[in-house]
Amino acid sequence: MHLNNYLLSLSLLFLCFHCISQPGNQYVFQKDDSLLKAKYADAVFAKKEVVITSLGKENFIEYKKAYDESYKNIGDFLTSSRAVTSPKELYYLQSLVQLIVKANPELQQLDTRVVFSRDWWPNAYSMGDGTIAVNAGLLIYLDNEAELVYILCHELSHFYLDHTGKAIKKYVETVSDPDFQKELKRLSKQQYKVNERLKVLTKTMVFDNRRHSRSNEAEADIQGYKFMKRTGFDCSSILSALSVLDHIDDTSLYKPVAVENIFNFSDYPFKNRWIEKESAIFSSMTDNSDLTKAEKDSLKSHPDCSKRIVFLKDSIAGIKMPGKKFLVDENLFRQLKKDFYIEMSEECFHEERLSRYLYYNLQMLQAGENLSVAIPSIARCFNLMYKKQKEHAVGLSLDAEGKDFPADYNELLRMLNRIRLEEIAAINTRFCKKYEAEMAGNKVFENEMKKANAIINN
Amino acid sequence: MKKIATILLFFFTGTITVLAQNLSIDNVQKIVLRNTDAIKEGTEVKGYYFFYVSDKIDKHTNEYTLQITDNNLKKLKDIKFEDSKKVSILESSFNGTDLIFLFYNDDENTFEYQVYGADGTKKYSYTRSLSKKDERFLKMTYQTMGGDEENQFKGLYPVQGAGFISNTPSREDGDFTFEIDYFSSTNNKQWSYIPTEGGKRFSGDYLGSYNGIALFEVLRYSSRTDGNPDSYLIGLSMTDGKKIFEKPTDKAKNKFYPTNLFTLNDGRAVLFGEYFESDANVMKAKSLGFCFIGIDGKGDFISEKYDSWENDMAKYLDVSSKGRIDGLGYLFMQSSVQAADGSIYIIGEGFKKVASGLGIAANVLSGGAGSGLSNSKIKVTNLAIIKFDKEFNVKAATLYEKNSNNIELPEGFGWYGVIALGKVVKYNFGGFDYSYTQINKDNSSFTVCYKDYVKEKDYKGSTFNAITYNGDKFTKDVINTKSEASSSTVLPSKQGSVLMLEYFKKKKILEAHIEKLN
Repeated sequence: MHLNNYLLSLSLLFLCFHCISQPGNQYVFQKDDSLLKAKYADAVFAKKEVVITSLGKENFIEYKKAYDESYKNIGDFLTSSRAVTSPKELYYLQSLVQLIVKANPELQQLDTRVVFSRDWWPNAYSMGDGTIAVNAGLLIYLDNEAELVYILCHELSHFYLDHTGKAIKKYVETVSDPDFQKELKRLSKQQYKVNERLKVLTKTMVFDNRRHSRSNEAEADIQGYKFMKRTGFDCSSILSALSVLDHIDDTSLYKPVAVENIFNFSDYPFKNRWIEKESAIFSSMTDNSDLTKAEKDSLKSHPDCSKRIVFLKDSIAGIKMPGKKFLVDENLFRQLKKDFYIEMSEECFHEERLSRYLYYNLQMLQAGENLSVAIPSIARCFNLMYKKQKEHAVGLSLDAEGKDFPADYNELLRMLNRIRLEEIAAINTRFCKKYEAEMAGNKVFENEMKKANAIINN
Repeated sequence: MKKIATILLFFFTGTITVLAQNLSIDNVQKIVLRNTDAIKEGTEVKGYYFFYVSDKIDKHTNEYTLQITDNNLKKLKDIKFEDSKKVSILESSFNGTDLIFLFYNDDENTFEYQVYGADGTKKYSYTRSLSKKDERFLKMTYQTMGGDEENQFKGLYPVQGAGFISNTPSREDGDFTFEIDYFSSTNNKQWSYIPTEGGKRFSGDYLGSYNGIALFEVLRYSSRTDGNPDSYLIGLSMTDGKKIFEKPTDKAKNKFYPTNLFTLNDGRAVLFGEYFESDANVMKAKSLGFCFIGIDGKGDFISEKYDSWENDMAKYLDVSSKGRIDGLGYLFMQSSVQAADGSIYIIGEGFKKVASGLGIAANVLSGGAGSGLSNSKIKVTNLAIIKFDKEFNVKAATLYEKNSNNIELPEGFGWYGVIALGKVVKYNFGGFDYSYTQINKDNSSFTVCYKDYVKEKDYKGSTFNAITYNGDKFTKDVINTKSEASSSTVLPSKQGSVLMLEYFKKKKILEAHIEKLN
């Protein structure tokens, strides 16, 4: 008995050791269902044909142009790598949508295609035909399913209330208006002060449009709340979701990236001049827009989140039955938040937004997360930057510093915009050498390290 | 009007895409690429300006927009004003705290210098009226006056934190001279200085400023046909423009012609130029070599160091006769930098006077009546970077080969001496390929940029070239600049990068993006 236990222990120990020596759990990238993408695109195209066929004669050309452009954008999105049609993720999202639809019979007749997108910016949007996207860049900030469900309810409300259709109608009616046409014709013949007049013309229209947009958002907020309160989800999450949106620009999921530590090697020390701030000569130069504060506020497409919270607070407080934060799959929700960080960064690579791609992976590296992806990605990024810089084509792949970016991202951008070709190669080989042992067996990493070494040896 | 409808559709249904460091402006009806330039503090690019007609107000008046961006092309401010439709922008400068723009108004024959603070607020405006004679004379210098030509002339200089100096040719009755104007950026004050006494013709080059003194190299001609001018230095008080000193440049051990003023890391002011035999005509004679002359606040020469072609330069370059370098010809000083370790680098571009087949043929065919062309032409050759140590000894010289270009000289120019010819090639014909030099903040690295045109198997077209010194070695980088654009130019950017500007006439799009050098 003792011997068996001993042997069993040894076997377990061996197995454990074997597990430890594996190069970590490799992340498996989501695999989209391309047939489904094509099916979605076909459905969108078919829908467009129905919409256009049903148009009346009045302003037909303008309507057709607007719908052609709109549906083209939808089709392009759905067939691109941005739209997620990977079965597990899609099924999860559909489960949430079905829950909402089941609780709200008026939504049952709607033909929707709700997907996650791999886009990094925090947003969700209804495209007007039933296609709704929730960006990875928003999902990663949400705390629970209830918040996600509110986002879905809000976007479904836009579709339910046909806000896009009404906006197109408003646009067509505006540009087709005889007085407007008359004014345009007059302007086309006018020689002087054309831009001045155009500014007045478009200013009125833009303000009007933005007012409608804010009104639509407020309407979608209320309708979204109505849909959500029947679902069994916790409606106080509406307030927390809006609060997330309100503070999203100041929120970071990771500690600031310290490039001076990550890229400091004993035989190739970090150079402070890579990240030294330039003197801000024109920091006090502000846009001299002749708009007043009230006018600037009027240009916003959404009401301030704080106002939206105040508007809904009382209604939510009046709900007697507390709902749930999770009803479908809490574990999957949390897993998707992590997965989408990786997916979103990979999409940045796909679009050659290299500075952002590098930033996300440096965040993960520093946090010790997803190292089997982060480390090879960093090496891959440097190799691609080297190639593009050699061809004098890297400028368009790197963001420029901006006051809206976090300080650590700006620091990284300063470094990327300053390091020279040989410095890129030198940094990458040393980075690869540092993680060589840890990444043993990781084919992606080994391939990138080989490329990095080939560069330096040439 | 289709364009307006598209814009409106965007507002109703569109999305916003974030772009990297590039700028794309569409519906640009006309662009003159010279109306865009970098705003520099020293050699550091701090931003850009784009000057364009944004609206036509009436038959005689345009609305202009001067758009200022930061050095990442992010728009900072639009400065709009209405003025005659015959207004063009000639130059700009930045003195570390304030901006100045020089506008020419062809209707009113005025130069207007507008000073703006770093917050974009207009501070002062100074106007200079131009006589007809002034205008004609200036048009020879500022080729852009009223036209679309590339401008090579530089007449506006910053005085750190205080103001700006303008140096432009001037006509005073029958005399050709130059006018120095100082425009304060801290208060609404200016002064002018125009040399007219003791000569019939004057030309002046601003060398720099030190200890509150603005220093100029002046050539004084006793008559319009005088071919042997007097060369002297004048120091003007920055406060009121009064002359503090006037020193002939033949009072040093050797006669010299200064082209640059350095303020060394230890605060000393040193003039750099070429030196000559004591009785030489600096405009025509071949120089004996380079010199570094220390100068104090009274204009006295307090130190002198000479590096001859024969003994010093010949160790590093194949100098065949006085100043004539194999592979270069004569050297025109384009710029100079002092590195962190005190070394001084002189960047020069070579040029030779050669026989012009076209000119000779044209003159023969004209039967002696004159064809308007000289029998000689200029061949612009290679670039050279010469290194001097802290004691001004020559330590290294490197030639950078590029394709030569020819400039046909008009009649009369063939007799010009070396220095004068170099200036003509640079400012009248824009014939040199050199573009600019940039040095970083701590002087540990600098980049020299120039244009070229190549005909190779893989590529035939224009190139933009950069030679970078990073503290221990020089590296070279080349960007092929041929594109489908109707016109394009390369402007300085943050050190290590350039700004590529392209205008697509058919699509009416102006695109600008920053690209890194290697």
